[in-house]
Amino acid sequence: MTSPTPPASGFRPGHVLPDLCLLAAMPLLVHSVYRVFMATPIEQSMGTAFKIFFFHVPMGWLCMLMALIAGIAAAVQLRRRSSAAAAVALAAAELGFVTGLGVLLTGPIWGNATWGKPWTGDARQVSTALLWLVIVAYLLLRHYGPRSSDRLAAALAIFGAVNVPIIYYAVKLWKTLHPSTGVVGTLPPDMWATFWPGFGGLLLVSLGLLGLRIRQLRLADELDAAWVQLEDPQR
Amino acid sequence: MSEAAVALRGVAQRFGRKVVLRNLELELRPGTIVGLVGANGSGKTTLFSVLSGLLQPDAGERWLFGRAADEVDAQARARLAYVAHATQLYGALSARENLRLFADLRAAAGLSTRPADEVLLELGLSPEALGRPVSTFSRGMAQRVALARALAARPELLLLDEPFTALDAAGRGMLSRVLLDERSRGAAVLLSSHDFDALIQICDRIVLLEGGALVRSVEHQGDRESFRRRAAALWQDLPADPGDTMVAG
Amino acid sequence: MRILRQALLLLRSELRQELRDFELLLTAGFFTVVLLAMFYLSFASLQARAHLSALPGLMWLTVAFVGVLTLTRVFDREREADTLRALLAAPIDRLAIYLAKSAMALSVLMICCAVLVPGLWLIFPAGQAFAELPGQTALLALLGCAGYVAIGTLFAAGLATGAGKNTLLFIILYPLTTPVLMYALVTTRALLDHDPALPDHLTRMFVLDIILFAAASLLFETVLVGAPARRPERPHRPGRPRGPAEPVHRDMSRETSS
Repeated sequence: MTSPTPPASGFRPGHVLPDLCLLAAMPLLVHSVYRVFMATPIEQSMGTAFKIFFFHVPMGWLCMLMALIAGIAAAVQLRRRSSAAAAVALAAAELGFVTGLGVLLTGPIWGNATWGKPWTGDARQVSTALLWLVIVAYLLLRHYGPRSSDRLAAALAIFGAVNVPIIYYAVKLWKTLHPSTGVVGTLPPDMWATFWPGFGGLLLVSLGLLGLRIRQLRLADELDAAWVQLEDPQR
Repeated sequence: MSEAAVALRGVAQRFGRKVVLRNLELELRPGTIVGLVGANGSGKTTLFSVLSGLLQPDAGERWLFGRAADEVDAQARARLAYVAHATQLYGALSARENLRLFADLRAAAGLSTRPADEVLLELGLSPEALGRPVSTFSRGMAQRVALARALAARPELLLLDEPFTALDAAGRGMLSRVLLDERSRGAAVLLSSHDFDALIQICDRIVLLEGGALVRSVEHQGDRESFRRRAAALWQDLPADPGDTMVAG
Repeated sequence: MRILRQALLLLRSELRQELRDFELLLTAGFFTVVLLAMFYLSFASLQARAHLSALPGLMWLTVAFVGVLTLTRVFDREREADTLRALLAAPIDRLAIYLAKSAMALSVLMICCAVLVPGLWLIFPAGQAFAELPGQTALLALLGCAGYVAIGTLFAAGLATGAGKNTLLFIILYPLTTPVLMYALVTTRALLDHDPALPDHLTRMFVLDIILFAAASLLFETVLVGAPARRPERPHRPGRPRGPAEPVHRDMSRETSS
């Protein structure tokens, strides 16, 4: 009885990249937390609650980034029938779920503290919630859908990615309590110095977790292929 | 030597850990009838889906009418007809309307089709049944309508998934006669069935699908009794399956 | 032109089947009336100002609910008889299937809107603008329903070809179509307010519909049947003579085990 072909051994840069991302994120996040709570002055109009901004906005950006990655990977998956692309799409969607949940939890905290209303129902809040729901729908379809639903889920991810620019455009259509897209641009320089390390840290954490999850899914695929090869009666 | 109507090389299909087709090799020549036997769940319907273009296999090559068919385009689909196990008819439409719909669709693509009434009557439907909704038909009658829709297109490749199901003795005789006519016309026919006697009567070759691969084959080499004996031996190799309703001779 | 002709033939067949029993029209239409009754019971006692704010939501919520019902029923026929696979195996352009099904679902939704909009106008006086601007209202309904149907047809078809559960359509469609419905909400509010920017809103909806239809059309065949796997070029053509008795497949009974 022959054994399945073992995966290629030896050092591969791609295998350590996720770990390097997570390692690099650690000092950035520590520095970011220090800057947010110890080195950044309290914002004049919104008070202490404004500090949520330094976590809320990066998570919002990352949620959209993950939705875009999932959509692009899904398109590759459909076009090339690539299981690797399918793994990227699923991993990105899972991270989009987590970061989206972070946005939806931190947003109301900020809103309640700043405007007295946790949920204002404005365009960006609603649109982000909708994007998150699309991501949840994708994950449900991948996990509970019928046999052929991987292609359908890919189409859902593609439409979800198309939804991302609509979110930004919706802000311009509606009058909103939510700060306009110009908030980040109007930050004073010392707040920029606080914002970017936090964003960088969260970005590296997301990319590191994305890489680990993709690797995990690819290993599961390899396990299935090895199992199939082992069970082949014609070997 | 005539070009194969269809050829599959190393075709594989799996869903997770479930292997449905495994390194499958098959060739059908024009003017031949090949019977496909296998236990329930052996991959017969998936094989038909791959041949008719309803499913893209994970691996392997598919050749249709002498050309590589990475996808079964409309041009290739115009030359084949697939009669599935389900009759795939619109219940609210009459037999005539069902056939005319597909005839009109073919006409829009510049393809000719035999007149609906002519084919339906040839397959034993009574004239008064032609205008009745298919939902009022028995399974056997609906089967005839589905077959008529396929034959009206004068296909070069005819794929039939358990066509003898629900047909009475007269219906089986009619179908056998029709398939022999199609063979004489030069069509390649692949049909799956659990009806041993029917396959022996009309097939030039019977192949056994097991575990997703074609593992055994018996050819009709001129002596029907010898063919019957060798086919019976192949039949006995079918895995026992409580759901099987096959009839051995 | 061939695609359009095939789509029209399929649409004609759909309409012919529907006109035999009116099942879809009656169920969708009745559901619309039931929703109107529920809206009356729930919101009629509110102030007129509240009606004005609620009307766009009520209209497009109804379209969303009736839309799922419509798409489910349009493809249930195909699912029950497995006829969608017969169409996919036929020598027709598969895009024609998408166009025909979209047109059928859109037709049913527009008929429901023909009940819904006058109903809302009758129940809520704030809907006066619907009567004052009938052309714009009709266009708004058409563009909103078209965007919904563009997405919904793709996913309903995808679920109909697999062993997909109908409940999954609810999970998919509601979040995915809300951007379309958001634009429809904004445009409806603009119509009710007699906003001079209404033509701009309608134009935006039109552009969004084009994008959605284009994306869904491109994806339709791939989602239903799958893209072909890439194959290396092979010069050998099968069908060449192999010898008089050589089998054309692997005969395991004659092979020794490895």
